[in-house]
Amino acid sequence: MSQLFNYAVPGIPFGCVFALMGVGLVLTYKAAGVFNLAFGAQAFVSGLAFVFLVQDGWPRWAAGIIAILGLGPLVGLVLDRLLFRRIRTASPLVKLVPSLGLLIALPQVALIIAGSTPQIPPPALFLDAQTVYFHLGSVPLSGLELSITVATVLVVAALVVLFRLTPVGLEMRAVVESPRLTELFGINAGRVSAFAWVLSSCIAALAGVLLAPLYSQLNPEDYTVLLVWGIAAAVIGRFASLPLALVGGLGLGVAQQILAGYLPAGIIATGLRPSLPFVVLLVFLPFSRQRQLDDPLADCDPPIAALAGEARGYRAAATLTGDRGDETVAVGLWHRTLHPDGGTSIGRRLLQRPTAVLGWVVGGLAVLSALTWVSPDWLLTMTQGIAFGIIFLSLTLLTGMSGQISLCQASFAGLGGFAAGQFANHLDLSLLAGMVLGGAMAAVLGVVVALPTLRLAGLPLALATLAFALLADNILFPNGWVGNGATGVLVPRPEIGPISFNASRSFFLLALVVLALVAGLVKLIGDGTMGRFLAAMRGSEVAAVSVGIDVHRLRVVVFAVSAGLAGVGGALYGSLQGSLAPNDFNYQISLVLLVVVAIVGLGSISGAVVAGVVYTALLKSLSTLPARYAGLLAVLFGLATLSYTRHPEGVVDYLGNRLVGLVGRLTGRWRDDLPPRTDAPAHPPTGVERVPMAADGVDR
Amino acid sequence: MTGALLRARDISRRFGGITALAELSLDVGEGEAVGVVGPNGAGKTTLFNCLLGLTPPDTGTVEFDGRRIDRMPVWRRSRLGIGRTYQRMELFRGMTVADHLLVAEQAHAGTVRLWGDLLHHARPSREELDHVESALRLLGLDELADRPVDVLSLGHARLVELGRAMMGRPRLLMLDEPSSGLDAAETARLASIITDVRRSEGTAVVLVEHDLTLVGDVVDRLCVLDFGRMLAVGSVGEVMADERVRQAYLGSGA
Ligand SMILES: Nc1ncnc2c1ncn2[C@@H]1O[C@H](COP(=O)(O)OP(=O)(O)OP(=O)(O)O)[C@@H](O)[C@H]1O
Ligand SMILES: [Mg+2]
Repeated sequence: MSQLFNYAVPGIPFGCVFALMGVGLVLTYKAAGVFNLAFGAQAFVSGLAFVFLVQDGWPRWAAGIIAILGLGPLVGLVLDRLLFRRIRTASPLVKLVPSLGLLIALPQVALIIAGSTPQIPPPALFLDAQTVYFHLGSVPLSGLELSITVATVLVVAALVVLFRLTPVGLEMRAVVESPRLTELFGINAGRVSAFAWVLSSCIAALAGVLLAPLYSQLNPEDYTVLLVWGIAAAVIGRFASLPLALVGGLGLGVAQQILAGYLPAGIIATGLRPSLPFVVLLVFLPFSRQRQLDDPLADCDPPIAALAGEARGYRAAATLTGDRGDETVAVGLWHRTLHPDGGTSIGRRLLQRPTAVLGWVVGGLAVLSALTWVSPDWLLTMTQGIAFGIIFLSLTLLTGMSGQISLCQASFAGLGGFAAGQFANHLDLSLLAGMVLGGAMAAVLGVVVALPTLRLAGLPLALATLAFALLADNILFPNGWVGNGATGVLVPRPEIGPISFNASRSFFLLALVVLALVAGLVKLIGDGTMGRFLAAMRGSEVAAVSVGIDVHRLRVVVFAVSAGLAGVGGALYGSLQGSLAPNDFNYQISLVLLVVVAIVGLGSISGAVVAGVVYTALLKSLSTLPARYAGLLAVLFGLATLSYTRHPEGVVDYLGNRLVGLVGRLTGRWRDDLPPRTDAPAHPPTGVERVPMAADGVDR
Repeated sequence: MTGALLRARDISRRFGGITALAELSLDVGEGEAVGVVGPNGAGKTTLFNCLLGLTPPDTGTVEFDGRRIDRMPVWRRSRLGIGRTYQRMELFRGMTVADHLLVAEQAHAGTVRLWGDLLHHARPSREELDHVESALRLLGLDELADRPVDVLSLGHARLVELGRAMMGRPRLLMLDEPSSGLDAAETARLASIITDVRRSEGTAVVLVEHDLTLVGDVVDRLCVLDFGRMLAVGSVGEVMADERVRQAYLGSGA
């Protein structure tokens, strides 16, 4: 018992920080409608500022005030204004991508601005971090632990006072219950949600400052881990309850220390502690679904209003294109028409598809160049781009077509690569066979992920897959028979009989063939019956089951196929590099993958291929810059994220639509055969006597 | 009534402290049209969800065409021949009107498509397209066939939902307030479509509606729900004359 106590007490400070993160996440989620994954980055930025200020000789209390009460809310408000306010009612994917992008970009931006990393070990907010002040039982309590716990208790007390006793607290509770209802009472929910942003950003900043002394060096990745624990706490609070999130965070902190104390050493055991959030997410996420995640008055929306956001995208596209041949992607995502208006002459057909023509021409030139004059290291980059293109295509299928958000795609790719290498090394198979087997293993993993998450969708699904990626990183990949820890696995180049693909040009050609096969597969699925079923599932799962689609099975299948494709891509990448280590495909890569492909375009095959090539080309060109600008990619990333909220259809489709419109105008087909507008709102009945029972307008 | 197409017995469902349905029983005969009315929150939508399996009932049994269906997954019940629309519309965003109908048509056939797609670039069969065309004509939506539903007016969107529910020739249509938000002309059009389908296909209908003119035009029999209980059953005239029904709707003072 006293043993348990000894393990549990040191967990409390951790728990406090987790709880703070969880509380902040719930606060913005409920009051501002966004599950703000950039929270980890906000915490990092404030932590960094705090350490720098102290290093420059500021007293700690002043540095704390600036970092926590100044910079923290400032960043939060800017993000709210620039970004999150606009996507409040967007689809889960459109909400998720920007916050993920910022999670990655923001710390890098901060590091670039700072220009260096701090030279001093991060100090505690007050007290001396390393000194032991007294013992609780036999547990020594250091200044670090005391300062975290005391600060958390103070903040929680302040929150209780705020929520219970002040008018703005009351309003905030009301907004958390139902923004719509609150507005009906004449309260400006926008102002209240801005206040919630300020408050939660202060909390994030505080968590960031408090946590800093735990590490000898500030590192964004530690803050992402912190974020994951905070997410677990928020999920325990069912995204809705601040007290539950608080208790959940504390419990997690204590539980992970107890686990660490009792479990024996070994990969599984050491991996289990960081995977605890995964277990929590899987256990608690299904409950969050039971409760209405949204406004209880959400039902009062007239249905058409909920659709309006996407309709705007469609109208923009229709205005631009003037016609909608079957290539036109109206709202970005695999929208097909049943009767493509096939032109007669080939010339006319080509003119109708300028994007396709351009794509093939550019692609053909690129391939020709690769085979003739491109330098070896750029050829390598192009081949890497193809491998990533394949992995991106797996997301096109899973997220673009069927609307399932996956944050563990890199884990699938990694497993595919490891399995291919292991099979090739141990069974002496050609890597091509290894690649197929690797894809199959990844597909099995896809089923393993799909089955427990069948009932989740949108944000909960995304978080569950994220947790899964963590589990794979910590428990699966370190094993010798999978990813072999930090050493990694050798992945040979393939051979077919006498033909060897050791040369970079021949490997490039091989990669191209694999890409063509995968792209063909994705296209066939997208254009076929299954694509239509997937689109239906994406549109409304409820309606899909009630027209007779076995949605659960469809989800398992699409997860399996997508994971398999990612696995093939991972194997190809590994074979190109010659070896593969778990860090090549850790969970952070999964986040990057989703953000990149969403920005470039989830709506088409070309989007994924362009994403692969652009991504690797950018990485390569930025690697030649001086070290100080290493984070420039992240800055670009952040900017692209901002543009994404305006054009969720992705860069490729956006430009494609522009091009189609331009060519249409030039060739005089401008808007000629656009059907007449039929989207006028239904008229309210005028002069028609209605039976008193009709409760229109209220009841819907 | 032995020949009932749908037979629900003692369906109960509670949400926390709220009793949405209390031991409710409902029979729908082959080809019969039954109206279900009741004040807001009476449990009408919950009844639909329980019959179709979207919300599992706490107690009770459901039979369709003589078979127990209450343990079947939703999609299988639908393939047996039950089509349904939603009060809060559930359209497939981003998909065209024609695709909505085609999906429903193909889902009813229910064959595995992945291999077909991969091996011979599965296009919809001539027959499937014909069914879609004729449904579009019946609904008067042929002009809009290739528009994404996102830009339709509410009236057209409701017709798309109705059309989707009618694909695959269901034997039972469950319509949840199909006229809500429509004007009088649109409602009349809706009524004539429902009547047409009933006449030509012999489809049974369960219609939840607040608009009593529509109910009166369509149904053979009317049930009144209040607090999850069946308050009255009978012809439209009988039921509306019932004292308890008037009280439930107009309050005890009436
Ligand atoms: N998922 C749910 N969780 C909690 N309560 C629910 C849920 N669904 C329905 N209820 C409650 O059950 C009762 C019946 O609701 P239901 O939607 O079936 O009523 P209705 O007759 O369709 O009303 P309306 O005419 O407004 O559509 C209501 O009190 C409602 O609040
Ligand atoms: Mg209802």
